[in-house]
Amino acid sequence: MAKKKFVVGCFDDEATLFPAVKKVRTAGYKIHDVYTPFAVHGLDHEMGLRETSLHTAGFIYGITGTTTALSFISWILTYDWPLNIGGKPHFALPAWIPIIFELTVLFAAVGMVLTFCYLCQLSPFIKKHHFHARATDDLFVMVIETTDKTNVEDLKAFLSNAGAVETDVQIAEEGWWLGRYDKDQVPFQNKIVAA
Amino acid sequence: MHLKYESQLREPLVYGTKTYHDVTEDIVRPIEAKPSKLWYIGFYIAVALLLFGIYSIYRDVTYGIGQWNLNKTIGWGWDITNFVWWVGIGHAGTLISAILLLFRQGWRTGVNRAAEAMTIFAVMCAGQFPIWHMGRVWMAFFVLPYANTRGPLWVNFNSPLLWDVFAISTYFTVSLLFWYSGLLPDLATVRDRAKTKLRKHLYGVASFGWTGSTKHWQRHESLSLVLAGLSTPLVLSVHTIVSFDFATSVVPGWHTTIFPPYFVAGAIFSGFAMVQSLMVIIRKVFGMEDYITMGHIEAMNKVIVLTGSIVGVAYLTELFMGWYSQNKYEGYTFWYSRANLFSPYGWSYWGMMACNVLSPQIFWFRKMRRNLFVTFFMSVIVNIGMWFERFVIIVTSLYRDYLPSAWSVYYSPSIWEIGFYLGTFGLFFTCFFLFAKYFPVIAIAEIKYVLKTTGESYKGKMGHLEHVPAEVFAHSGHGHTIVENDGAN
Amino acid sequence: MSSIKEQFEIPAKLKTWSYALIGVGLLALIVGFITKGRGTEEEQAVFIGTIMYNTIFWTLVTNASMFFICITTLAMGGWQQSFRRIPEAISTMVPIFGSITVVVLLYVVFSGNHHIYHWLDTNAVASDEILKGKSGFLNVKFFTIWTLLAVGLWSLLGWRMRQLSNEADVAAFNGETGPSFIWRNTVRAAMFTVWFALTVGSTVPWLWLMSLDAHWYSTMYSWYTFASSFVSGMSLIALWVIYMKNKGYLEYTNEEHLHDLGKFMFAFSIFWTYLWFSQYMLIWYSNQPEETLYFKHRVQGVYKGIFFLNLIINFICPLLILMKRSTKRNYTLVTFMAVLIIFGHWIDFYQMVMGSISKEHVTLGWLDFGILSLFVGLMILFVAKALAKKPLIVKYHPFLKESIIHHT
Repeated sequence: MAKKKFVVGCFDDEATLFPAVKKVRTAGYKIHDVYTPFAVHGLDHEMGLRETSLHTAGFIYGITGTTTALSFISWILTYDWPLNIGGKPHFALPAWIPIIFELTVLFAAVGMVLTFCYLCQLSPFIKKHHFHARATDDLFVMVIETTDKTNVEDLKAFLSNAGAVETDVQIAEEGWWLGRYDKDQVPFQNKIVAA
Repeated sequence: MHLKYESQLREPLVYGTKTYHDVTEDIVRPIEAKPSKLWYIGFYIAVALLLFGIYSIYRDVTYGIGQWNLNKTIGWGWDITNFVWWVGIGHAGTLISAILLLFRQGWRTGVNRAAEAMTIFAVMCAGQFPIWHMGRVWMAFFVLPYANTRGPLWVNFNSPLLWDVFAISTYFTVSLLFWYSGLLPDLATVRDRAKTKLRKHLYGVASFGWTGSTKHWQRHESLSLVLAGLSTPLVLSVHTIVSFDFATSVVPGWHTTIFPPYFVAGAIFSGFAMVQSLMVIIRKVFGMEDYITMGHIEAMNKVIVLTGSIVGVAYLTELFMGWYSQNKYEGYTFWYSRANLFSPYGWSYWGMMACNVLSPQIFWFRKMRRNLFVTFFMSVIVNIGMWFERFVIIVTSLYRDYLPSAWSVYYSPSIWEIGFYLGTFGLFFTCFFLFAKYFPVIAIAEIKYVLKTTGESYKGKMGHLEHVPAEVFAHSGHGHTIVENDGAN
Repeated sequence: MSSIKEQFEIPAKLKTWSYALIGVGLLALIVGFITKGRGTEEEQAVFIGTIMYNTIFWTLVTNASMFFICITTLAMGGWQQSFRRIPEAISTMVPIFGSITVVVLLYVVFSGNHHIYHWLDTNAVASDEILKGKSGFLNVKFFTIWTLLAVGLWSLLGWRMRQLSNEADVAAFNGETGPSFIWRNTVRAAMFTVWFALTVGSTVPWLWLMSLDAHWYSTMYSWYTFASSFVSGMSLIALWVIYMKNKGYLEYTNEEHLHDLGKFMFAFSIFWTYLWFSQYMLIWYSNQPEETLYFKHRVQGVYKGIFFLNLIINFICPLLILMKRSTKRNYTLVTFMAVLIIFGHWIDFYQMVMGSISKEHVTLGWLDFGILSLFVGLMILFVAKALAKKPLIVKYHPFLKESIIHHT
């Protein structure tokens, strides 16, 4: 895979990060990603990221669980081996609700976690490029993708001006987990209201 | 970005002047330091208990459950009592993470990680009892609905005991996923600070290569929210299904419709008490007083008095219905076998009442809620009380059934029953000590998220906002910089 | 006032509508009295029963507003402050609807209409061991005292809670008065909550509703009734919030708050279903005649349709519609769901009461909707009046600003 050059700017406060993201985007640079030590609410919108539809996937997994449980149990108890249990009808729906519910939750939860790990390419033994070790401690690390035309020094100065406490240039391999956000990053109508 | 503001009337949830880095330092320090002597002592005691438990189970498996003092009517004794007790304790973690989210209780961030870990260990302990109670434990896989060699004979899907299998295993899986997905960012924090190669590698493997990417955080938030949403009904369903084990039967004292919500309230009650016991110790041993504050302790004590009272209403409801139903079997169970102090097991009923309903009422007083000694003492009392409750339900309903000639002799446990129970304590605390040593006991990322809203030093700087009139405050543009919202649900 | 519309002025249209509804209701009441109220004892029972479930339903639903205020106070909630005057105003209905309930119930027990309460029939009680055994609880004296006490204390403790919130209109709190204000709120909220648990959470539904089937018992019954009334109460709050927003009031309340109300409506719909299922399944499973007698004619008899309608409206609809985040933030959809949920639980109360009084015939008809119209009309009129009495914003409440920036 191709190696790419990235300009890295580190911020130490989300209060300076937000305006910086805005400035960088307005100036036309392409933000590869911002690595933060915790979930900074609203940053995804500021960066123009699309909403995740992970929860929709969860809903579909859940329904799958419901259907699986219901069809499996009803097949067994009404068709495969009907048994008279306590004089109840073979199709004893109230008694199946607990298992149907449990399988709904199980499918939804397991399915979602696996999908999450797949989408974010998270798994044990995976090697990723970490732009800054303190991105999981106290720095908000903005990584900007460069092209042949980018003036790296200008960009670094631009970041420092925007409040970065540390700037840096790194070359990272564009692995299959890097640059997967191109599709997401179609700048969508960012509703910024200065009330 | 949203305005960081919180009323000055609220106590800070993080004390001291802390930066993000300080938070990392404070919480990761116990992981990086050598464990203290106290830790070793505790750990070895736990392992010793565990070994005793393993030996007790060995006796049970090789000689059969005749090793226990169960008799002809009391087929469920300490084992199922302990099972229900542990499952109940295993409810607090999910509750703190999920239900308190709905009620917007900010203080849950300080305690959720340890509580969720506790949940998982408690469910592991609970699972032991039904499994080893099977006697021929090598047949345990018979409870699974697989296409089998026994002919097309399936498990009984209409049986609450099978519902239990599904409920407990689902609950364990989902709690584990919820807990571990929340741990990923924090394990990454430990990884990125690691000095030795081995450490870096191990935490690197454990953190799944987490980077902190914004897109990942966005998905992570969505995942946590949905898992919390799923866990809320799940946590209710688990103890509900445990209560169905009893309530679907036609046994006086068991067959009562209030059992599901009443079991759930009791589970929350005992779970919180257990979290409370552990928190009081952790904050002391690891010096986490700035993160697990008196405010946290007080809030949990409020939950304890609330759930204790709900359970109290349920006890009285049952007792009342024992009379109101004019059903003589119900009446006998409730008014003789339980409420009569001088009946053979009357002591357990009154022990339960004293521990669960009466004594927690002292938490109506603020002074008591904020007293560490009282808190710790009460948390132990509540767990004893909740053990009594399960014992009362199981034994007092069983020891005299419909046929007087079958009435059993007085039941007291054998040393191997007790050993089994102690063994689960060993299992629980062994796991918990290891957790406390190798994992961040407080959710680092979540604390950082609330730090600038509720940290003491940051709150101090917001003081001026208190005097701004509401209309000015609302129109200053603080509130609605971004109209679009984040998160999923 | 400044740019904010803080003082509610009742629109003429609202008054007209409420008078019209009340008019229709009174008409139905009079026609109902003439055609049914003077007929046989069974007919009278249906007539009074119809008023009875309506008045009990609306008393409990409006009382749920005060319960909402109290639990959020105890939980130190901030988010609800921007619209707290709405549930406060709704809770002023408790003395009004409560009095109607007291009058109706006391009329029933003193007139000795044993087609409603079988235990009022002294001959039946004398020859029935079970009823005789229950007479310590099911008797006119205790019924009267407890009913008066319940309604009286709900009204009184609720009033005290509302009085306290007036202080937040006067002047800003400081470091000393603020904590004391919160403390007094907590104490009064706790008092209401304890009484609520002893009445709505236990005794009152047994006495008023469960004793309609004098032999039957279910320990779940009161919590089930509570869940039913609470989820309707939350829906009613949401409806009023939306109405006020549409009229340009409640500036600080926005879709964030609506979202949280929607969450309550969703969560407690599921909670109601959970209690419904637990009660039904346990009785179905153990299949004992003394317990199944309650469900027999409801599930297999003439009430079958209503029984399943109840589940569809109160479980399936909220589950599928309110699950989505965008629904809970949409004023139109929340309005629709709130109306649906209130209607659904009104139907639930209908089958709880009339399913016991009139086992052979489903009586749902013009009279039910007429009486409903009477109560809705009264509710709209008096809640609007209560809203107009105080500023809509608790200007100096210490947590108001948290509510302003509230973010789900």
